[in-house]
This record gives sequence, structure tokens and C-alpha cells, in this order.
Amino acid sequence: MPMKSSDTRWGSVIQWLHWLMALGILGNGVLGLVMVDMSRGMDKLNTYAIHKSIGLTVLALLILRVCWRMLDRAPRDEPMPRWQSLAAHATHGVLYLFMLALPLSGWIYNSANGNPLQWFKQFNLPALLDKNEDLAEIASEAHEILFWILIVVLIAHVGGALVHHWLERDNTLLRMLPFARLRARKTGENP
Amino acid sequence: MKPIVCLLASCVLCSAAFAADYQVEKGSTLGFSSTFQGEKFSGNFARFEARIRYDAANIEASKFDVSIDLASASTGDKDRDDTLPGSEFFNIAKFPNARFVTRQFKRNGEQVIAEGTLTLKGIDKPVDLQVTFVPKEGGATLDVSTVLKRLDFDVGSGEYADTSTIGNEVEVKAHLELGAKP
Repeated sequence: MPMKSSDTRWGSVIQWLHWLMALGILGNGVLGLVMVDMSRGMDKLNTYAIHKSIGLTVLALLILRVCWRMLDRAPRDEPMPRWQSLAAHATHGVLYLFMLALPLSGWIYNSANGNPLQWFKQFNLPALLDKNEDLAEIASEAHEILFWILIVVLIAHVGGALVHHWLERDNTLLRMLPFARLRARKTGENP
Repeated sequence: MKPIVCLLASCVLCSAAFAADYQVEKGSTLGFSSTFQGEKFSGNFARFEARIRYDAANIEASKFDVSIDLASASTGDKDRDDTLPGSEFFNIAKFPNARFVTRQFKRNGEQVIAEGTLTLKGIDKPVDLQVTFVPKEGGATLDVSTVLKRLDFDVGSGEYADTSTIGNEVEVKAHLELGAKP
């Protein structure tokens, strides 16, 4: 499987980054919702630590992904109405923005709250700013609101992909799946 | 025989006079620091009492007796400060105070060491303090420090015993402003 993207499908690097990040984002969302209601104790502390570690990982993967995207091409859009293509690209743009804003708002909250930031017990990262309780409260709210907006955008993203896969029966989803075999283009659409 | 008794008596008086008793004055602090998730945090005890007798010329005559109100610990983090009094940490319901009493003073080169016993959470363990005593007008400043292991005193027991999250080593430092006892 080629690492770089072709005219018709995403390269393996982007595919793996996509699914790894999808897993990280969804897993961390669940963890985030669960951890806030845990009773005080070591399990809660450790769950927060894992949530932060995963968030940092997603942020690192995002940076990697943006860098790779700058070096690599994107496949041509599947045949679809112009509004769909515009909506898809807009959704992608917003997703990238949120994938940056979520970990950053978490990092700001963590810093303003005066908490340590450690990546899977391996190394620590600095605070982005000094302790500030008012800001901590705002950042915490923002972190949660951003998450719920992200979920809405993700529903649009996943919904679009599934509509194209099941109803349009094109390669929108398949070209992002490792190991998947692309469907033949509908007759008349092949150049 | 009589002159010898007199001499002995005066010696006792002399040494008692030199080994001055001090009272702890404003500006004194007793703090501690450890690590949590790889980052250092520090706290202090707002309330403690210290009976300090010190004689730089005859350190064996010195004596420290410090009692610490464990409920007065604060570290600047609400969750942590709410956890510290609990049974896994200080268990202040059962052991409200910690106490440090010296057994003997020694010199290690220039450094004065106060060897004593720390009683914390009902556990007695020997603890050595590094002592820096600097006389000043009407009193002295006394700085002491040591590093102890929290698990020696069962502080942070059960699930909190995991030292990969909460460091075992705790640095304890005190800075005392001492005034001559009236």
C-alpha cells in the first residue's frame, strides 16, 4: 500500500493517522465524560492522566498529519454535487480546527488549574500559562463546549461518509480504509 | 570537696546559660515538597510549635522539640488539601499532630546534624536534620532540612502508595526566626 495518496485514494500514512486519531478522539471523549463523575481517588487521578496523555497524542498526530498533508497531495473528490463537495471540505476544515482547539483548551485549563501535565508517565510538558482560577473555569467550560460541537461536526462527517458509501455507492469511505478494494467508477464517469 | 561542688555547680549554670532557649517568631515557616505526576509541588504547615534550645559552642546541649498541627497543611490545590487530612494520608482524626524530638546533635565537618525521632501517624522513625544556625541581634535564624520517605510513615497508603504517581521522597524545610526567650 503506497504511503502517499494517489488520484483515487488516500495513502497509508493519512489512512492510519485518520483512524488512529478517530480512535483517540472518541476514546478520549468517553474517558472525559466518565472521569469527571468519578469519586476522588487514585483511579480518578490516573484516568485524568490518561485523558491528558491521549489528548497530547492526538495533538502530536494532528501536527504530523498537517505536515504530511503539506507534502502529499489529496485524492480528487469523488463525483458529487458541488454543494456536497463544499460541505465536505468545510467540515474537514472545521474538524482540523477543533482537533487543535480541543487539546489546546484542555492544556490551557490544566495549566490555569495548576495541574501537572505528564505524557504516559514518561515526561512532563510545561504549563502554557500561570495558575489562574477564573481562567481555569472558562477554559474548562470551553473544553466541554468545544467537545460537544466537535461531536456534532463529527456526526456530519461520519453521516456524509456513510451516505456516500451506502446510498451513492462511491469510494468516499473506501479510499480512507486500509486494505479496502475500491469500487469501480460508475460508467461514463471514468475519464 | 566543697570547692569542687561549687565548680561543678557553676559549670552547670554556665552551660545552661550558653545553651539559650529561643522562641519562634513571626516569619517562621515549615514547608514540604514532593512530586505528583512528575511535577514538584510544595506545601506548608501554618501551625506548629517549636521549643528550641541551641548552643553553637556545645551542640550536645541543644534540644529541638517540634509539634506540628497536621490539619494546617496546605499545598495550593483544593483536591489535594481535602485529601491530606484523610485516613490514607495524615489521618488527623486519629493523629492530629506530628512531633519531632532530637536525641542528639552531631557535627559532620562543618555541618551540624540534629538526630531525632519523628512521630507521624503513630509511627516513630529516626530522622536527621541538617541544621544551619546563624546568630543575630536579639536571637538567631535557624534553617533545617531533611528528606524523608512518606511511605516510612504510611502517608499516602493503599492506592496512594503508588510512587510512580506520588513521589516517595518528601523534602522538609523549616526556616525559623528565633528570638531570645525573655
